[in-house]
Amino acid sequence: MFICKDVVENIMDYIDSELDLETLKELEKHTGDCPECMAFVSTYRRMLEITGKLKDKPFVTPEIRNRLKILLESKLKPV
Amino acid sequence: MEIGFIKKLISVIATNDNEQITRISDDELIRRYTQTRDEASFDEIVNRYSDRIYGFALRITRNASDAEEVFQEVFLTLAKKLDMFRGESKFSSWLYRVTVNASYMYLRSQKKHENNISLENYSPYDEKGTLMGRIMYKDWSSRPDIIIFNKEALIIIEKAINELPESYRTVFHLSDIEGLSNEEVSEILEISIPAVKSRLHRARLFLRDKLSDYFHEWRK
Repeated sequence: MFICKDVVENIMDYIDSELDLETLKELEKHTGDCPECMAFVSTYRRMLEITGKLKDKPFVTPEIRNRLKILLESKLKPV
Repeated sequence: MEIGFIKKLISVIATNDNEQITRISDDELIRRYTQTRDEASFDEIVNRYSDRIYGFALRITRNASDAEEVFQEVFLTLAKKLDMFRGESKFSSWLYRVTVNASYMYLRSQKKHENNISLENYSPYDEKGTLMGRIMYKDWSSRPDIIIFNKEALIIIEKAINELPESYRTVFHLSDIEGLSNEEVSEILEISIPAVKSRLHRARLFLRDKLSDYFHEWRK
């Protein structure tokens, strides 16, 4: 029988739909009966939504790019 | 009149070239640069990867000035040694690997050593394996998007990611921010796939807790 620890330790495979059917049933049965685990799964999913927003964040300003250009020109100058 | 026409024609050709180069594959850009030192091809590689390389260097070093040093070193290495790329892995994976090496080398040269604490025992449940009384009272999952995705929450999560020990931070960054597969992360960081999964798991548990604390405090 599943306990909260099993939900936590299987959460990655659960989110990625990689659990075998039996484990999935056990997990969902426990989560359905356990509001703490239900809250754990919901907040875990929301956390992934937030961290997903950090993708494609621009970092390199024109100034950084220009300093790289100057460096490359000085270091790669033909002798 | 004629000069104006020629200038316009050159500008149209240049624009078309710029549009076309963005459609060229990484492999073709590499081939052009290694064979003819074509600057436009190298510039396009920089365009494609500069944010990812700088972002990854910043994640490892946690310092903008250090990240820029690493960023410069990576592209300098690339300009000099791109022909060392053998195409045995994806170019992006190879480039991340170059960034990891450059970052560690830079941090060593600056004697900036980070104690790598293990999170292997980090978990939200108690010694009996139960979450009782630990999660629900801080449940923030039904908060509206406008609160969840606000600028301050993103700053909090960035700060929390940077609190992770380095070996967890790099895995989390490549997996959940860059969206790479476990196999790619394993190859880049030269660790096993079970180690990637284990570090990612603990990093996510840590970050979920940090966000719960933040949203719980925010409500007060």
